[in-house]
Amino acid sequence: MIRNILALVGGASAGFAVTSAMAAPRDWEWTFQPAATDMMRQITWFQDYTLWFIVPITILVMVLLGYCMFRFSAKRNPVPSQTTHNTLIEVIWTVLPVVVLIAIAIPSFQLLTAQYNPKDAPKLTVKATGNQWNWDYEYETGDKDKLSFNSSILADADRAKLGKENRDEYPRLLTVNHEMVVPVNAMVRVLVTGADVIHSFAMPPFGIKVDAVPGRMNETWFKAEKEGIFYGQCSELCGKDHAFMPIAIRVVSQQQYDNWYKTAKNDLDGANKALMAEVDHNKTKVAAAN
Amino acid sequence: MADTHAKHHDYHLVKPSPNPVIGSIGAFIMAIGGVAWMRYMEQSDFPIFGYNLANTHFWIFAFGALIVLYTMFAWWSDTIKEAHEGDHTPVVSLHLRYGMIMFIASEVMFFVAWFWAFFDASLFPGEAEQVARTAFTGGVWPPKGMEVLDPFHLPLYNTIILLLSGTTVTWAHHALINNNRKGLIWGLVLTVALGVLFTSCQAYEYIHAPFGFKNSIYGATFFMATGFHGFHVIIGTIFLFVCLMRAIGGDFTPKQHFGFEAAAWYWHFVDVVWLFLFTCIYVWASHGATIAME
Amino acid sequence: MAAVQEVHDDHRPHGWVRWVYSTNHKDIGTLYLIFAICAGCIGAFLSIMMRAELMEPGIQIFPGLASMVYGVHGDAALDAGKSMYNMFTSVHALIMIFFMIMPAMIGGFGNWMVPIMIGAPDMAFPRMNNISFWLLVPAFLLLLLSMFMPSAAGAWGPGGGWTLYPPLSTSGQPGPAMDLAILSIHLAGASSILGAINFITTIFNMRAPGMTLHKMPLFPWAVLVTAFLLLLSLPVLAGAITMLLTDRNFGTSFFAPDNGGDPILFQHLFWFFGHPEVYILILPGFGMISQIVSTFSKKPVFGYLGMVYAMVAIGAVGFVVWAHHMYTTGISLDTQRYFVFATMVIAVPTGVKVFSWIATMWGGSIEFRTPMLWAIGFIFLFTVGGVTGVQLANAGLDRSMQDTYYVVAHFHYVLSLGAVFAIFAGWYYWFPKMTGYMYNSFIARLHFWITFIGVNIIFFPMHFLGLAGMPRRYIDYPDAFAGWNRIESYGSYLAGFGVLVFLFGVFEAFAKKRVAGANPWGPGATTLEWQLPSPPPFHQWEQLPRIR
Ligand code: HEA
Ligand code: HEA
Ligand code: CUA
Ligand SMILES: [Cu+2]
Repeated sequence: MIRNILALVGGASAGFAVTSAMAAPRDWEWTFQPAATDMMRQITWFQDYTLWFIVPITILVMVLLGYCMFRFSAKRNPVPSQTTHNTLIEVIWTVLPVVVLIAIAIPSFQLLTAQYNPKDAPKLTVKATGNQWNWDYEYETGDKDKLSFNSSILADADRAKLGKENRDEYPRLLTVNHEMVVPVNAMVRVLVTGADVIHSFAMPPFGIKVDAVPGRMNETWFKAEKEGIFYGQCSELCGKDHAFMPIAIRVVSQQQYDNWYKTAKNDLDGANKALMAEVDHNKTKVAAAN
Repeated sequence: MADTHAKHHDYHLVKPSPNPVIGSIGAFIMAIGGVAWMRYMEQSDFPIFGYNLANTHFWIFAFGALIVLYTMFAWWSDTIKEAHEGDHTPVVSLHLRYGMIMFIASEVMFFVAWFWAFFDASLFPGEAEQVARTAFTGGVWPPKGMEVLDPFHLPLYNTIILLLSGTTVTWAHHALINNNRKGLIWGLVLTVALGVLFTSCQAYEYIHAPFGFKNSIYGATFFMATGFHGFHVIIGTIFLFVCLMRAIGGDFTPKQHFGFEAAAWYWHFVDVVWLFLFTCIYVWASHGATIAME
Repeated sequence: MAAVQEVHDDHRPHGWVRWVYSTNHKDIGTLYLIFAICAGCIGAFLSIMMRAELMEPGIQIFPGLASMVYGVHGDAALDAGKSMYNMFTSVHALIMIFFMIMPAMIGGFGNWMVPIMIGAPDMAFPRMNNISFWLLVPAFLLLLLSMFMPSAAGAWGPGGGWTLYPPLSTSGQPGPAMDLAILSIHLAGASSILGAINFITTIFNMRAPGMTLHKMPLFPWAVLVTAFLLLLSLPVLAGAITMLLTDRNFGTSFFAPDNGGDPILFQHLFWFFGHPEVYILILPGFGMISQIVSTFSKKPVFGYLGMVYAMVAIGAVGFVVWAHHMYTTGISLDTQRYFVFATMVIAVPTGVKVFSWIATMWGGSIEFRTPMLWAIGFIFLFTVGGVTGVQLANAGLDRSMQDTYYVVAHFHYVLSLGAVFAIFAGWYYWFPKMTGYMYNSFIARLHFWITFIGVNIIFFPMHFLGLAGMPRRYIDYPDAFAGWNRIESYGSYLAGFGVLVFLFGVFEAFAKKRVAGANPWGPGATTLEWQLPSPPPFHQWEQLPRIR
């Protein structure tokens, strides 16, 4: 309930209105990246919500300090009082924080619970394995010859070959040779593990982050609401090239996904090329229609 | 004013001493030597200023350890000397008690780490998301195919040995309080002997253990927990042995004998740790497992 | 009485023996402080090199540095440089935590002031006190040495972060660098455990007649609680890093999943130590701030008992919140729920402290001498860091912040702006007492303002970067993050300049030798140290003070 009231306030910055097909951090970004899943929207909402408590608390402390500095400076107040107790005020500043914390805790627990209780059953399961320093994706579709491929950071030399020369859409350090491709509005389960050391599979616009621990199969899920390409980065120190093992997920329509999946098994690069062409084509169509 | 330095309190302002700095130099050499030695065992290098220290085997380590041992010896000799000179007033004695209790508390926390490792593996050998562990253990503890020690064989004897040693040390203590020197010495002799016996049994058990130290979480938790305990038994035995020598040399009075008490406390601590090891690692964790026949 | 004591101290050792063989808490405290300043400068140097690298996207500095230091070239230098950045991060953190803050607060100010403030002539175990200090020296040398030793292929120095997570710190870096770093922590830990035993015994047993625990000033109280945290948490770390060592060198499998081990086990053990550790880093600061605020407000501390039990509560609860560092590791939902709850609880006693400091100022007659500036800065900046901690406590939100610069911002606000501000507050508060000289207050204020502005410029924008998703421990970042990073780097140069101003101020004070007098702070300074001359006699309280 508190949630709904405050959602009105918090929702404004939750970013419903992003149309860009690309979601990566932007220059001087100073809030969460625009949400691409409902979960990230809830997280953004909750972050805004907590700010409604902690910013006033900080300001309160600042104002009280400032007031003391002004009002009780030796110049203005040469004779100090000797008060050292006031039970009422001590009770208040113990109880009020408790109230604040409860107010934070209730939606916090709801959020946490929601993260572990997806509404739908998974439509697609992808296993992501962190290696030093790239990712393996394996589509657990139950086929005998599962689709699996390796995804590493794109060397500048290979940009042209893969048709990823547009650096706005394919930014430095974020672009990979083979993206994970998933259908839009589909519940995707991601199984995450590590092959050598711990890595972490993170996708900020989706609101997910889960460690890729050797010997352990962690699980997370997302349901992307927008088509486009989304970027994340390895988020657990894993050695020399920790900064150079990005995660890229391309969200496409179910139809596009199905086509891609069919060809990808035999010709991954070809499938990607075809998909990119189709996506670009649609984009220009939209642009033309505007 | 000749009286300036007359102190009006019972605290002991210790004279400057070279021991701390020598000890820490020893610790430094030991650490460097330890790394060199480990490198040597791994057959790899430890280059410092172009010189490969790994060639030294364990000599640097041994040299450092020698310095550390010397420091301990010199330090405690000083302490004993100060005790004889009357520096250990009641309040200083109380310091020593607090110090020893807190040292033991920190040791307890050290063992918490090893028990934590043990319970992490033994209570949760088969969690679904712990794929590799479950594959290794087969979801059970002890891990599948593992032969373990019969808890009611040597370990039980060892339990009895340690419990017995707890009584002999108490006997020695009471003898000391009643100024029965013979009882004190015999109590200590027995305790030390039982300590040595325990260590010997443990060594025998290690040599004949049906599982190894390496490449298995079972071996790792078992040997490191019991091994550190064994190490503490050895320290405790030495501590008691020193007390025995002091007792033979006529040291300790019925009123003042904190060195002895500290050794006894330490011994009881080691004893209690063993009881936990015995009930948890030997008895509980072998429940339903294949017992190795010796 | 005290003046007489000073006349001739024949028993006082002279020359190097006085320092090296010392059994005098004040001399040992001085050694600790000098040590902390040296370590702080090295730690700051490392961080400024990191900031210089991060000033622009791309990799600029570290390959050259690596080729200078390790003599590698070309691609090898690039690789070595990338690893070197990780090593700088790790060593920066280890130095700042183990060799700057802890020695300064506990070893330095604790040693100097706790015996004096409780009316004791020295620590309970003066000789052990000395080995606590001297063990730090080899520990530090081992860490410094490790920076030049091989770790992984083509890499030098311990680069696993200060958290040392396996398998990166076991199979990931097989070279001797990591072994040296581990042994360094072993020695530093042993030093702190012995120190903790010493403080607890001193405080329990050596209070002057009449000084009950409930009359003891807050700084000794803070050190007492800290000592308990040290005593009970460090041995667990010792166990954990011993497991690292045996996994690395003796074939055990504590953290090797293929043989039934569990990398997450290490994280539990580490944070069981690590979280109490962060309170170890701040509690003595709390104590100092309480003394200072009360002194310069010329008022007794407000809600003394509440202050004491808030610290005890923080210490106790601090032991049961550790897994809030592990929300993304895959621990179960219920575990996360518990740790969210427990972690939030800590905000309550901490709030009691913050509000009580303000209430101490309330109605006071406040003089804005240098220590008070730092103390007020502390209260405000610590609050900023604390409230972001409360955000991080929420697992659902931490999911988006974990391992980003949001966390880096949080902990620098409580450490580099919290703990460090407390250290400088303490430094300027007790400097006249310890040395007998008064510093130049203009330089001291300049130091304050430069640092205040500098560190805020460094660390405030880190919140933005964190929200925007910039991960920590990155030598290079997507171009969109360039703006804030550049500003932060400028801030770090300013803060670095602040360190120089600080050093100059110390030098100036010793050069000018302005006599400070027994109590330069006036009627607000009521604790026992101000009844002694400055500097205090070699052995104070030969006649124990009596507290009514
Ligand atoms: C001095 C050190 C210090 C201190 C005091 C704290 C204090 C706190 N910390 Fe922090 N923390 C660190 C040092 C510290 N931390 C470090 C070094 C790390 C990173 C380690 C690493 O990964 O390398 C870290 C990381 C860290 C994390 C993990 C983040 C992540 O990796 O994802 C979390 C999560 O819960 C956390 C929480 C808290 C909380 C709740 C407090 C609380 O104690 C704060 C309490 C204080 C206040 C809240 C302010 C004052 C209170 C009031 C004015 C009252 C009213 C307020 C409210 C009602 C909210 N910290
Ligand atoms: C006490 C702890 C402490 C302090 C003071 C600092 C101070 C600074 N830190 Fe650091 N830092 C950490 C603890 C600390 N840090 C930790 C734990 C990490 C995480 C490591 C990891 O990921 O594993 C980290 C990581 C870290 C990073 C992230 C690296 C990355 O993730 O890639 C960066 C980047 O900018 C950074 C920068 C700085 C800067 C510019 C300062 C500047 O503020 C420095 C300026 C200097 C001072 C403000 C004061 C210096 C003090 C003295 C000279 C001593 C005085 C002594 C007496 C008076 C007795 N630090
Ligand atoms: Cu992989 Cu960081
Ligand atoms: Cu914590």
